[in-house]
Parts: sequence; structure tokens; C-alpha cells
Amino acid sequence: MDSLVVNGLGKCYILERESEGKGSRSFLKWLRSPLGGGDSESNTREFWALKDVSFRVEPGTILGVIGPNGAGKTTLLKILARVIMPTTGRVVGVGRVVSLLELGAGFDPDLPARDNILMNAAILGVSRHEAQRQIPEILEFAEVEQFINSPLRHYSSGMYLRLAFSVAIHMNPQILLADEILAVGDIAFQERCQQKVAEMGKAGLTVLFVSHDMDAILRTCNRVMWLHQGEIRRLGDPEDVVDEYQNAIWSQADIATSERGRRSNRLAEILSVRLVSASGKDIGGAPASEDVYVKIRFRTTKINLTVKCALDLSTKAQIIFRASDDTPRPLEEQGDYEALVRIPKNLLAELSYSVTVSCIFKRQNEDKEHPLVVYNALAFLAYATFVPDASPTARRLEKVGVLAPRLEWIVRKEEPVARV
Amino acid sequence: MLAFKRLLGLGGAVPAEGELDQSREKWVIEPVHVGVVARAKEFWRYRRILWFFAGRRIKERYESTTLGKFWLFARPLMPMFVSTVVFGNMLKMPSDGFPYFLFFLAGNSCWRIFDRSLFWSARSFDQNRALLKKVYFPRLIAPVSSVAPAVTEFGVLLGLLLAATVYYLVTDGKFYLRLSPALLLAPLAIVMVLFLAIATGLWMSVFVARHKDFQFSIRYFTQFWHYLTPVLYPLSAVPTTYELTKLHLTVNPRMLMQLNPLTAPVQLYKWALLGAGEFPGLTLVSSLAIMLIVFASGVWFFTRAEGASVDRL
Repeated sequence: MDSLVVNGLGKCYILERESEGKGSRSFLKWLRSPLGGGDSESNTREFWALKDVSFRVEPGTILGVIGPNGAGKTTLLKILARVIMPTTGRVVGVGRVVSLLELGAGFDPDLPARDNILMNAAILGVSRHEAQRQIPEILEFAEVEQFINSPLRHYSSGMYLRLAFSVAIHMNPQILLADEILAVGDIAFQERCQQKVAEMGKAGLTVLFVSHDMDAILRTCNRVMWLHQGEIRRLGDPEDVVDEYQNAIWSQADIATSERGRRSNRLAEILSVRLVSASGKDIGGAPASEDVYVKIRFRTTKINLTVKCALDLSTKAQIIFRASDDTPRPLEEQGDYEALVRIPKNLLAELSYSVTVSCIFKRQNEDKEHPLVVYNALAFLAYATFVPDASPTARRLEKVGVLAPRLEWIVRKEEPVARV
Repeated sequence: MLAFKRLLGLGGAVPAEGELDQSREKWVIEPVHVGVVARAKEFWRYRRILWFFAGRRIKERYESTTLGKFWLFARPLMPMFVSTVVFGNMLKMPSDGFPYFLFFLAGNSCWRIFDRSLFWSARSFDQNRALLKKVYFPRLIAPVSSVAPAVTEFGVLLGLLLAATVYYLVTDGKFYLRLSPALLLAPLAIVMVLFLAIATGLWMSVFVARHKDFQFSIRYFTQFWHYLTPVLYPLSAVPTTYELTKLHLTVNPRMLMQLNPLTAPVQLYKWALLGAGEFPGLTLVSSLAIMLIVFASGVWFFTRAEGASVDRL
């Protein structure tokens, strides 16, 4: 039994090239264009945001949808929410669909909570009677009972979020579409949301949950779909799909900025990432004249593993380098380990840097890799320890760029060379 | 035949696909345009949203201004007085024997509700952009709910009209409001005007969403239309014969004006409310027919184009 059947779904956008003028000769085409008439002229380009996507979902499934930006995740959700019309394919589903594409999209900030609940109910096709019955419960779950009469623009963003989520789940949905929403808000509410979703999943609710937060995906979902350039790359067990996904995106560093990695998998867990001095003390900044270390602490839950760590140093949203360990290090016993990598003195400029850390764990007798990635695990400031020379020459020679290595200079008189 | 059924939204049952839970309502999303009848049904199911949206449209119109509700009254009233002075007092426009102010007010309230409704419904995609991109609701709700500010403005003008009749009762000793069963036709006239505005707005909203150019041209288009509608002058002031000497042709400008579907309802409103002019008679039927054609085609066109229009937002 399925609650949602998606068959060959595709969405094509026609992108116009700017250069082409809107001459009067195309006037007829211009008038016809609102009908979406296919013009195959060269000044347009097709872009398939979603291509031939087919899957089935059973009631009770919490399907995580992952993929880099532009993979079609939101397009898929929007089609299912009927906000946009697909170009190809067909979706058949049962029951009421409730979407949380954007926080409080259907809310009017001037109206109080009560009226907003009724308006949302109307948008979702819930009867006034049913909505009115649910109001106390909605307010209670959202913890905004005492603000029932104040307009929503006086709400904090947390209250807004809680109300939006509370309205959505109390409208008795059979299918819930959530874009990133289960991963925002304070931790306590997040947990309550995920608990509620899990509970409703047991009662037959189907959830499609889009997120970049791999930890949230793994905590919440029982199936994961990985979209890549509009197509399904993998669909299956969360652990497997997320592992594979992380492996793939780790190798394409440029996507990484939008991702939130995962800190634990079935082999190990990253406990902390710290900046420490040579003597092992935690420090918040890196003095330019001393060596500093990035310390990754992790705990293994299996025996006979190996680990290979890597570190990305970035500043100004740009990766400067990736330094990875060249040999897999054995971890025979189960327990807590630390990995240290030295950042040599006289290398960093006076900037703030951030560090992304990845640890690829493997069982010693297997080839399958289980990566853990912590994006922007650590941010620190590097500072110079010497008093800067204020002379005009020195200022002209001030450091520019994202690194400031002390390089060795040699200035000497040229030896006379015998001419041939 | 199948295509025709689809057009009307009478397509057959959903073919079985997979094993779906049969106890719940089943729905389908397909890249085909939903028929007009299906859209109308859906519109009816969602009718409660209309009121929320309408309220929102009215509020956001005035909330960011310092004078707030003052504008609700000032905007329709100020041009009223200017036009009365220019056309009534200075140009001595005929007015079927009524005070020009009253005569013009009756016609102008019809025109205003048309003009403003068209203006706002034409922009409805842009106005509802945030919502249209995030939430599903029948897209027809957007242009239809956009006429709300125009309706409130009409209410203001109606209030002014009632006040004016009281004023003339006191000063002239004459009560111009027509207290007879014919008065009941006045709301009908307004409904017709509103209907035509929405029908035209359905077409225009799609064009405006596609090409901003239309947003500018609408203003000139309606200005032109304004002069073809008996608002500033009575229909009786339009001659029935006119010689186009160079072409050796005689035309009937009054009859041509009656081709304007707005002429008959405006005429009806003035007749029903004040007893000014004549009952429009047969032209009412022809303009009703035109309205229905524009409306039906407008709904068809809108439902065809709404998907592509939302994509472009």
C-alpha cells in the first residue's frame, strides 16, 4: 500500500537569454507566450530542474531528501504541494497534503494567532468547524496560549516557527512536506517536532523532509533520497545513502558551504574539534609566531578500524587548502582518540579562519568508507605577536592575501658569469 | 470528445496506480490543464480564503500611509470635486436635468469600481507573489480577491451619494433618490460592472505577469475606455447620426457606444438610482452576452496560463 506514487516527474524551465531584443516581429509569439506555447527559438534554453523522478512512499515513511543546492529538492516539494505544475509525469496520492515550504508563508502578520489558524485551515481545505476544534491544541503545542490575541508581527521568530509547525501537524495531514523546517528553532522544540513526526509516522503519516543537516536527517528519517541535478542518485537506507552522499560532496569542496555534515555514524562519533597550543591547552586564537594544533577528538564504537583525517582551512568563504593525512591510521580498540594536525607558525595572516574537518572511517577488512564531516567545526582568529613597524615602508609592505607565510629571502651580489 | 471533456473538467476517474489506500480521498497531479468546471468547483470549496485575502488587500492598501484611513475617503473623493467643477460648472455638461455633481457621482462610482477592480486584479500575480510561490490555493482567488479595495471605495462613494441626496433635499427641496422597485436594479448594475472588471482582469493579470509592459499600457487603455462610457456626460448627449463627409458615410455614434459592454450597466445604474436617462433595454442583453464571453474565455485563459505565470514570478 502506498500513500504517494510519483511517476516520471519532470520540471522544465525555459530560460530566456537576455541578449535577444524583443522585436515587434515576435509580437504574436509574445502574446501567445502566457499560454506556455513551446517556442523552440534559439533565444531560450531549457533547464530541467527535475528529470524523470519516480518513487513510491508507504504510509509511515519519513523520507529525507538530500542533495546539493540546485539538485531539485525544493522543486520536487513544490510540485507535490501544487505550487508549481510539473512538465512531465504524474503524481497520485491519498489524503490531505500539508506543506511547510517556508516558515509561516500563509500567515498574515497583522492578524492574531486565531485568525491565522482559521486562514491556514481555509487554505488547506480544512473546514471551519474542524479548525476551531483544534485551536486550543495548536496553541498549546506551539506554547503561545498567552499571546492568542496579539498580532503575529509581535511574535518572535521562534514563536512564529512553533505556530507554523503546530498548525501544520494539527490539520490532520496524511502527507507532510517540510523544507528544512524540522532543523531550525531551538533544540527542545526541534526534539518535540521530531518526536511528534515520529509518533504521527507510526499512525500512518508520510513525511518528505528536505534538509542539508545530515544529523537531523539521520535522526528523523527512515528512508533517504539523494537528488543530484534533478535525478534520483540513490534511494534507500538513511545510513548508506548519507554515507555515500558525504563521500561524494566531500570531493567537491565548493558545494560544502551550504551543507551541515554529520558527526556520528555506526562506527564512530566526532566529539569535538578544538584549537590547542603546543602544550595542549585550548586556545581561541592562533598567535602567528607559534605552532598551533587542530585537535579532533572522536570515539569509536567498533574495533579494528582505520581513520584518515583531513582538514579544510578557509577564510572569506573560500577554501585555502585541504590538508589530508596520507596514511590510514589503525584504531585497534574501541574508545576515545584524538587526532592532531599542526599548523606551522608564520603561515597565517591576521584574519579569521574556519576549519572543516572530515574523518573517513573504515573497517580494516572492508573497502566501504564511512565519512564524518563537520562543516565549519571551528573558527578562530590568527594574530600577530610582534609590534608592527609604523614606518611608511613597512605599511606599504603590509601583508595582503589570505596567508602570510614567512619565507626565506636571499639577497646577494651576483657572481660574474663567464660569457661564452 | 475526450479533449472537450477535459476542457470542461469532466475527465474520467483516476486510473488505478499502485496500491493506494482506498479509504481516503485520492488526488492526482499531472501536467495537464485542469478544466474550467473543475476550477470553478475548487474555487467554491476554497471560497473562505477569499474573505481573508480581501481583508488583507484592503488593509495593506492603507496601512503604510501616515494618514491611513483618510486616504480611503480622499482618493475617490478628490477627483470627484475637481471633475464636477471642470465639467459641470465650467463646461456646463448636460446631465439629464440633475445636479451635475449627483449625476456624475452616480456614473463615476460605477466607473471607479470598474477601473480600480481592473487595475488591482491585473496586478494580482505580483501582489500575491510571496503566497503564490509558497502555498497552493486556487489561483483564481488572487485576481478575484484583489477587487476588494475597489469595492470599499465604491462604498465610500455610495455614502457620499446618499449624503448628497440629503443635501439637495435640504437646499433644493427635491429628493433625487428614486424610491421605487426599480432601485433594486442598482445593485444588479454594480454586480455586472464588477463582473466585467474581473473578467477583463483575468485576461490582463496573465499578460501583466508575463510582460510588465501591460501594467503601463492598462492605464491608457482604461482612460480611453472611460471616455467611451457615459460617465462624464449622459448617453442622450451623444448624437445618433454623424456624417463622415470624406467617406460619404453616416454612422450612429450612440449605437457604437452601446457596443461598449460597460455602457448599459452604467446607464442602468443611473436610471435605477436616480431615474436619470432611459432604461438601457436590449443593450443590457448584448452587454451581458459580451460579459459572459469575456468572463468564460478569461477563466479558460487564466487557468491555462496560471502555471506558467507562477513559474515566472
